[in-house]
Amino acid sequence: MSITYSLVMATFTIPEKITTDPHSMLWLLPLVAAIAIVYKATKLPEIKIANFLKESVILFGSIVIFMFVTALVLYSIAWLVIE
Amino acid sequence: MTKPRPKENHTIFLLTVGLLAWLIPGAGHLMIKENKRAFIISVTIILTFCAGLYVGSIGIINPSGAKPWYVAQIMNSPIVAALGYLAKTGDYAVFGKPNEIGQIYTSIAGLLNLLCIVNAVYLAHLCKIETAGD
Repeated sequence: MSITYSLVMATFTIPEKITTDPHSMLWLLPLVAAIAIVYKATKLPEIKIANFLKESVILFGSIVIFMFVTALVLYSIAWLVIE
Repeated sequence: MTKPRPKENHTIFLLTVGLLAWLIPGAGHLMIKENKRAFIISVTIILTFCAGLYVGSIGIINPSGAKPWYVAQIMNSPIVAALGYLAKTGDYAVFGKPNEIGQIYTSIAGLLNLLCIVNAVYLAHLCKIETAGD
């Protein structure tokens, strides 16, 4: 019991090691999924699993695509300024 | 026909729904019998908050050093205040990317719960209007 407790406590008292490489951007995806799911859970008039999943996936995709396009535009502007 | 609630009772009911939704994510929707919504909201918000804590440790809850983040984090539940106190008394310093990602996750979870609190109160209010219109 005390070992389990210690393990659980250790999980939440020691930070993970995350580097600042481009892969760290992938942490964005679970957060976007959470936002899409909760937003659709509050907005849909009736929750039906198939429709709910479809709507959530569409919103998730829209956010990711929009952010990708924004990143591309900002990168292009930065490139133009630097070059 | 269902009898509509008196005005004072309705206000207390709305306040109870809001308070419950803040105490436990999803509990507000559960009270107005929106069970599926309650389950989805509860699981998603708790998982997002726990993911933030897992990444950054409880050190990311910093009531004095990161007040704007703390305001968003406390929207999750009053338990965050206890975690903040625990983090303040212990040595849980966290810096860099884990701190950043942990704060973003926990704060977004809190703001999502704020959205759910408002939604639960709104749905509870709509129940009254529908009951009166029957």
